[in-house]
Amino acid sequence: MIYIIDHKDSFTHNVVHQFENFDDVMCDNHSEINENKLKKSKVIVFSPGPGAPKDYPRSSNIYKRFKGKKKIIGICLGFQQILHCEKGKIIQQKKIYHGYQSKIKVTSENSLFTKNRKFKVGRYHSLKLKEPFAAKNFEITMRCDISNVAMAIENNKEKIYGFQFHPESFLTENGNLLIKKILSA
Amino acid sequence: MIKKNYLENLNNSKKPFIIYRSNKGFDLYTDFSKKIILTKNNIEKFINQSTKLKYKNKETDLFVGFFGYEILNNLIGIKVKKQKGLKFPKGIFYKPETKQKLPNKLNYKNLEITKSKTLFKININRASYKIIFDKFKKKIKSGETYQIKICTKYRNKTQIDALDFFCRLVKSNMAPEAFMIKDKDYSIISCSPENLINKKNDFITTKPIAGTLKKTKKLNRIKALAFFKKNIKESKEHNMIVDMERNDLSRICKAGSVKILKKKIVEEYKDLYHNVSLIGGKLKDNISPLEIIKAMMPGGSVIGCPKISTLNLLNTQEKESRNVYTGSFGYIKFNGDMRFNIIIRSILNYKNNSEISVASGVVIDSNAKHEFNENYIKAKALMDLYK
Repeated sequence: MIYIIDHKDSFTHNVVHQFENFDDVMCDNHSEINENKLKKSKVIVFSPGPGAPKDYPRSSNIYKRFKGKKKIIGICLGFQQILHCEKGKIIQQKKIYHGYQSKIKVTSENSLFTKNRKFKVGRYHSLKLKEPFAAKNFEITMRCDISNVAMAIENNKEKIYGFQFHPESFLTENGNLLIKKILSA
Repeated sequence: MIKKNYLENLNNSKKPFIIYRSNKGFDLYTDFSKKIILTKNNIEKFINQSTKLKYKNKETDLFVGFFGYEILNNLIGIKVKKQKGLKFPKGIFYKPETKQKLPNKLNYKNLEITKSKTLFKININRASYKIIFDKFKKKIKSGETYQIKICTKYRNKTQIDALDFFCRLVKSNMAPEAFMIKDKDYSIISCSPENLINKKNDFITTKPIAGTLKKTKKLNRIKALAFFKKNIKESKEHNMIVDMERNDLSRICKAGSVKILKKKIVEEYKDLYHNVSLIGGKLKDNISPLEIIKAMMPGGSVIGCPKISTLNLLNTQEKESRNVYTGSFGYIKFNGDMRFNIIIRSILNYKNNSEISVASGVVIDSNAKHEFNENYIKAKALMDLYK
C-alpha cells in the first residue's frame, strides 16, 4: 500500500490517481495522519502543496522516522520537504513557474533514468533548492535544461526520490512511466 | 410550442419562474410546489434527500436553483467571516411542476423600462485594487497561492424587468449556461459560458474556461487558437485550471478514468473566443451527489489555485459577500443526474439593489492596471443593459 500525505493541494488527487495505476493507495491530510496506515504502508509519498517545508513540521517528523525504513517519494513541496530535512535550504527563485511546461535533462550516470535524456515536464513552484547542496547518499539527477535548477533527487541506497516538477501533471511527458520505474526500484 | 404572449403573461402574473439554456433553445420551469432556502444546517440534508425521491422519468423530477459562494465554502469546511452585503439567501432551490421548451429567440420586450437614474458605484477603486493585487503577488512568490481571483463589485439601485434584461442579454451574448431566475423579491440574470458539472449515470464532465479574446474582423478560430498558444500568461492559467479540475474529478472517479477529452480548444461566441478544455471521468461506485458537489464546488477556475489555501486568502481579504457570484446554478434530478454551471457574468437584483460582480486572475506576471480594466470590460456588457 502507498500512503500519500496530502498538504492540502489541488493536485494531490492527480497524484493519487496516478499511483493507483500501480498499487493500492491511501491518502490523508498531513494533520490527520493515521499511525496504522503509516506503519502498514510500503511507500510514503509527500504531496505537493502551498507554502514552504517549514510550514509542515508533522511531515518532516514522518520523514525522519521512516527514512531508510520505507521507500519515500516527494513531489514539488514534498521534494522540498525531503531536502529541508536533509539540511538543504529552500529559497525563493526570481522567475516563478506556475503552470509552466519546460524541458529538463537527466544529468547523472547514477540515475535510474538514462543520462542526457531530455523531456518536457509541468512545473508549479516559486521556491527552489539553494545550491551547493550535499547530503550523504543523495544526488541531484535531473536539472532544468535552461536554468539548471535542481529538478530531481535520488538516493538509491535508502530508496528516497523527489521531483521538483509534477509527474502527475498533463504537462509532463511519460509521467506514468517515471513513477512506475521509481516504484519498482 | 408556447403561445405568443405566454412569456409576457407569465411575467405579468408575478409567478416565479426559471429559464435555463438547453441544447437548442431554453427550458422554462414554472409552477413551483416547493421552495427550499438553504442554510449551513440544511444543505447536506437537502442534497442527500433530493436524490432519494422516487424518479418516475418525468421531466420535472428534479430540483432547480442555486448555491451561493459562501454556502459552498461552508460545505467543504471553510469558514467565511461575517461580511457586509445584501443579506441575500445563501442558496435557493425549487421543485417545478411544469417544464416547457422555449425557442432560441425569446420574444419579449418591455418598452417602458425605467431607465437607471443612478450611476453604478464600484466597491474597490483602482488604488485599493492595486494594494490588494500587490499583497497577493507576494503570496504567490512565497508559494501560498499560484493564482488568485480578486472580486470587484458594481452596484446600483434600480427596479428592473429581469425578463427584458435576460432577453436582451442573450440576444447579444448567448452563452451555453445562460439562465435567469425571477421570484418575488429577487432576480438573477446570467450569461455564464461555463459548465462545472454535467453528470449522466456514472459519467461526469467539467468544462473549464481560461482565456478570452474579443472578436475582431481580422480574427478567426485558427488565429484565435494561435493567440492563446502564444500568450504564455493565459496558457499557464489554463494549464493550472486543467490540472486542478483533473484533481477534483480524480477524487470521485475511478482510477485511470479521468481524461482530458478536449484539450485547449477554441469556442466561438457572438463577440468572443474562449479557450476551453473538457475533462471527464467515470464515477466510482457508490459516490453520492453530495460527494460530487463537495469535490467540484466552488468551481476552481473562478477561485484560483490551490483551492483551499486560496479560498482562505480570499475570505480574509474580501469584506463583502460574493452572494451568488462564483456559486453554481443548475439542477439535481431525483435519479442523481445533474447539471451545474458557475455563476459569472451575472446580475443579482435583490429588493431593487443590483449587483454585478467580476473577477480576474492574479498570477505572477499579471499587471494590476490591465486586470482592473479587464474587470471593467466584463462588467460593462452587463451595465449596458441599464441604458
